[in-house]
Amino acid sequence: MTSIRVHPSWFTRFWAIVRYQMLWNIRKKMFIAALIIAFALATVNLAVPAFLKIGQNPYFAVTFSAGNLTFFLFAIVTSMNSISGEYESGTIVPLLTKPVSRTMVFVGKLFAGFIVILVSYIVIFSYSTIGGIIVYGPQNNLYLVPLTLLGDIVSTFIWAAIVLAAASISKNSLLSLITALGVLIALLIGVSVVGQLSDNPGIVNGVNYLPGTGATGTMNVTLGHSVTVANVTINPATSISTGTDSIGANIVKAILFPNASVLFYHTNAFSPTLAPNLLYTEPISLIALRAIGVAFLYIAVFLLIAWFAFKKSQILE
Amino acid sequence: MDYVIETTNLTKCFGALTAVNKLNLKVQKNTIHGFLGPNGAGKTTTIKILVGLLRPSEGSVKVLGQEVQVDNADSRLGIGFMPELPKFPKHLKGAELLDIYGRMFGMTKEQRAQQIPRLIDLVGLKGRENDLVGKYSKGMQQRIGIAQALLNNPELVILDEPSIGLDPVGMVEVRELVKTISKEGITVFLSSHLLFEVEQICDHVTIINKGSVLASDTLQNVSGMISESPMIHIELVDLTNEIIAAVKKLPFVTGTWKTGATLIIQVNTREDARSKVSKEVTGAGGVIIGMSQKTSNLEDAFIQLVTKDQGGKAQ
Repeated sequence: MTSIRVHPSWFTRFWAIVRYQMLWNIRKKMFIAALIIAFALATVNLAVPAFLKIGQNPYFAVTFSAGNLTFFLFAIVTSMNSISGEYESGTIVPLLTKPVSRTMVFVGKLFAGFIVILVSYIVIFSYSTIGGIIVYGPQNNLYLVPLTLLGDIVSTFIWAAIVLAAASISKNSLLSLITALGVLIALLIGVSVVGQLSDNPGIVNGVNYLPGTGATGTMNVTLGHSVTVANVTINPATSISTGTDSIGANIVKAILFPNASVLFYHTNAFSPTLAPNLLYTEPISLIALRAIGVAFLYIAVFLLIAWFAFKKSQILE
Repeated sequence: MDYVIETTNLTKCFGALTAVNKLNLKVQKNTIHGFLGPNGAGKTTTIKILVGLLRPSEGSVKVLGQEVQVDNADSRLGIGFMPELPKFPKHLKGAELLDIYGRMFGMTKEQRAQQIPRLIDLVGLKGRENDLVGKYSKGMQQRIGIAQALLNNPELVILDEPSIGLDPVGMVEVRELVKTISKEGITVFLSSHLLFEVEQICDHVTIINKGSVLASDTLQNVSGMISESPMIHIELVDLTNEIIAAVKKLPFVTGTWKTGATLIIQVNTREDARSKVSKEVTGAGGVIIGMSQKTSNLEDAFIQLVTKDQGGKAQ
């Protein structure tokens, strides 16, 4: 038998892991389901304004975001069992006895998840952009659409990192799903409660340092950017969320309206007739940059936890 | 001497449990080395340390001259490993699985195109290579497991219970396969519960119990380690203490071991003692299903060594 042993390059082995994980990701029934849901949500996004008789909106495509439900779904699909599923099925044993390091396996799986999310989002954004042109006429600033897409990927990766960390520690896919879902629901409720009840600017602004929707404000945009069609005036950028789920949309707004500010009000939930109280104001550029910084910090911390847990784990299965 | 596996005082503890206890194992190059031990002896734990799945608590491990560490991926370049009851990703087809593993070993496209069909043919999966692994039977998973262990033309193949899950024909095929790959200069380290299998294919044997080596030598030397006195195996409907006591009274009986309803008797005479033993057993109320007398073999050595180590010696 002739020897076929060579010293493979890092990239050769890494790419083998990426292929291995990509095939797994795209052959999951969950992936198909996530794609269908994402398309359904994008379709609703296209159809609702049309249903409200808004015939033209040149900002539709550039303000489109896949949305936090899609972020969460794709994070779950690509991360929930990419590590823990290997332990649960026992496939971790043949995988880790190949000449690949655990770091290589971890990074390869992560990169495969990135590619699958990137390609899926490109398809969804293309659908939304083409749909926007068909339904709402010519679109402005289409060159900014890829920025929203990249921002959405960053938003998705926060959830992916949380899921991966939970999965690497627990080695249990279901537990990681429940953990991530718990965090998502707790943040949605918590942020909503804070928004309704608190009139403390520090606390309201504090939710922007958590993953998720963040605080909700009103953008003081230049009037010229509003669109009036058939007696209906719209400005898709007026009411905005300022958390990590809106990175893509807020980057675009910061580019389109560089001098705009966001005003944060408190409405007394028990006396809704009282005038809203202005808590504080922030420039849109600061909001976008802060969300990016917070997102990368969470991604780095949770991925480090996931990597460390995976690297130190012993294969007892 | 060239050793492909060399452990020094290898110890692995899981909390208070010591699974591997100062294990000193040496496996010579170009041998088929059987690794034996009762359930829980530490065989699989040792193998997992050898292939870098577990970190030792103490001691050192060298495989193919390289220090084994969990994250030393290069130390696995020359090793082919098939785990006990291997599980492979269900979403991949058989040939796809081998292709991806081949890429991890750095095999070129040409090497994969040549090696994968050869191995699929060798393990009897021709015609099923494009089926998803998830649709494979247990035996087919075992076969693809052997194929992936040979993918990189390894210097050392570690097989953990390779015959589990195979039908009798498959078991014979695995034995023949092991002999074939050994002839190609590959060292085979094989863990098995099937003593007859080890006896048929291995030339060296290590017996471990409670994580320590009880015996390690050539098959012939290990088999001859115990007294060469003949052994009588009596298969009974029911083995009672009265039967054992009656047999022990016979002057030529030097030891007895009980395994289920089978009584193994060691005798110090070369004469055929079966008629005398049969008379005693029947007299004590025993119903004999079968009886045979044989000189010591690996099975006897294994049972005696392990029983002694467990403090159960003669009854």
